[in-house]
Amino acid sequence: MRRPRSLQGRLLLSLGAVLLVIWVGAAWTTAVLLRHEIGEVFDSSLQETAQRLLPLAAMDIIGREEGDVASQRLGAIHGHDELLTYLVRDDRGKVLLQSHAADLSVFPPYSGPGFGRTATHRLYSEEALQGTIRITVAEPLAHEAGVAREIQIGLGLPILLVIPAAFAAVMLAVRRSMWPLRAFRELLETRSEKDLGPVASDDLPSEVAPLAATLNALLDRLRAAFAAERSLAANTAHELRTPLAGAIAQAQRIQKETGEPHIARRGADIEATLKRLTARAERLMQLARAEGGRLRLDRTSDLRDALRVVIDDMHRSVPQDRLSLRMPETPVMSDIDPDAAGIVCRNLVENALGHGNPSSPVEVALDPGGLLTVSNDGPVVPPETLAKLAGRFERAGTSARGSGIGLSIVSTIAERIGSALTLRSPRLGRQSGFEASVRFATTGNVEVTTWP
Amino acid sequence: MRILLIEDDGVLGAAVRDQIVGDAHSTDWVTRIDAARAAMAGAAYDLILLDLMLPDGRGIVFLRALRAAGNVTPVIILTALDQVSDRIEGLTAGADDYLVKPFDLDELSARIGSVARRYSGNPNPIIRHHSLDIDIARRSVRREGRPVQLTAREWALLEAFLARPGQVLSKAQLEEKLYDFDAEVESNTIEVHVSRLRKKLGADLIETERGLGYRLAAA
Repeated sequence: MRRPRSLQGRLLLSLGAVLLVIWVGAAWTTAVLLRHEIGEVFDSSLQETAQRLLPLAAMDIIGREEGDVASQRLGAIHGHDELLTYLVRDDRGKVLLQSHAADLSVFPPYSGPGFGRTATHRLYSEEALQGTIRITVAEPLAHEAGVAREIQIGLGLPILLVIPAAFAAVMLAVRRSMWPLRAFRELLETRSEKDLGPVASDDLPSEVAPLAATLNALLDRLRAAFAAERSLAANTAHELRTPLAGAIAQAQRIQKETGEPHIARRGADIEATLKRLTARAERLMQLARAEGGRLRLDRTSDLRDALRVVIDDMHRSVPQDRLSLRMPETPVMSDIDPDAAGIVCRNLVENALGHGNPSSPVEVALDPGGLLTVSNDGPVVPPETLAKLAGRFERAGTSARGSGIGLSIVSTIAERIGSALTLRSPRLGRQSGFEASVRFATTGNVEVTTWP
Repeated sequence: MRILLIEDDGVLGAAVRDQIVGDAHSTDWVTRIDAARAAMAGAAYDLILLDLMLPDGRGIVFLRALRAAGNVTPVIILTALDQVSDRIEGLTAGADDYLVKPFDLDELSARIGSVARRYSGNPNPIIRHHSLDIDIARRSVRREGRPVQLTAREWALLEAFLARPGQVLSKAQLEEKLYDFDAEVESNTIEVHVSRLRKKLGADLIETERGLGYRLAAA
């Protein structure tokens, strides 16, 4: 038999087996001891009977007239079943007296005083008057065996009842002591992946408490690692952006302050290079964040705020009529990190601006269910190209150059928040254009992926 | 305008200061929050450019304290923190605008102008005053349709009057707008600039309130 995998099953099985063996052993020993004791009691009563009967028989026989055979057999006063039968014989084997139910075939020839045994009976013999009167009392072995059996049944029956009861008690006790463990397991099961708070370990038995402590220590380290990742991203941004900003600003000042066109041109070159460097660094930081950071938080925020900030920011470098934003009037609360939502939005919009028809606006829309759609006009992307495009972003293609990395960042973030980046061409309900969408889980809404 | 620049990076700070001065604003540049507090105790500023990560603390904390104390000076955040959450935090703390580093210096100039216009109550950059068409954003003035060239100092002075139409500005207040904190100002400088402005834009543009100062004539 395979060992059960549950601790409860193992405990139940081992405790039950040990209990069963001990009980059966104890019952067995008791029965054997009792049987021995019963034998002794029976022997003692057999001996006692013989010793009591012998003097009476002797008196009776001595007082009897010669040839009075009729009185050899004492009639029963009342007919009854005899458990004990007896036979009184003289030294030549002649029967002098017998109990009324005595069966002569039961009694073997006399072989001296003391206990004896035949196949069916236990015997005891005693003699008097120098061996001239010999009494033999017989008791059927079946009688003793019957009594012993009754006693064994009397012992065994309660055990048969007690063992299932004991099993039930063991089961109950095991289940009861497993309760904190089960509660702990349920606590862990119902916990969401974004909940990195410590688990309660107050009620746990001392065997499991260290497990909870270890788990809490692990969660602590995880939280610290996520916080470090977040602050590293922020610090790297600061460390990188500030000097770049200084250099770009100085390059711009050179262009303003110089009267020499060729110096101004050099300044512009430096500025352009530094801006490219900034964009690259930004993408790398976004990628690091998409792959390593914690994207779902234990607090919620309005997705509209994040999108508004991003779109407002982009309006600075993009004409007002190139970018439109449509959002519900009520808050769209989500536990998605607003920064991650911002990165997704910015990359999708930059992609749309870069590849879409330059004379028509990029439309950004958020629905109340958290579905962000960025669409633009432009020629229809053939299905095979679209499939290739989508396939390429299944894995973050860090080697992808130019705009590719933006979509791969979006795809990585989408995957890590349990969503998907969906690309369509033409746009839904239109004849042309391109559409990218990502669903952000909103609080209170069940996460449903509605696209095929 | 008199602008307080709080930025600890020397290279960026110098470029920003030069840009602001080039736009004919006066500026005080500090690199620490405590220095910013000291500067604000000694002068009235029209606008603050605030970096968020400073050697002696977070700019956002300084901004919250400023707003909690009832100070309504316009604040533009210059931040290297590009995350959406940082920007939302900055705006909710009471900033009027933010610029994520790196930014274009011309964009900075435009934002300074737009925030200042919003504060003066007239977000429209085109101001019509008697025979003058003044485009504050482009820094151009036309008198009866003909362009008029103004020096940086003259611009700063005109802007100070336009920001507070009808209000009397003392000589000391005007000096503060024109010069950096530690710059030396000659005693008759304001009078000289006012008389040049009157010559270029019309004698009745700026009225003198004897013993008090000057003000922009009602339109």
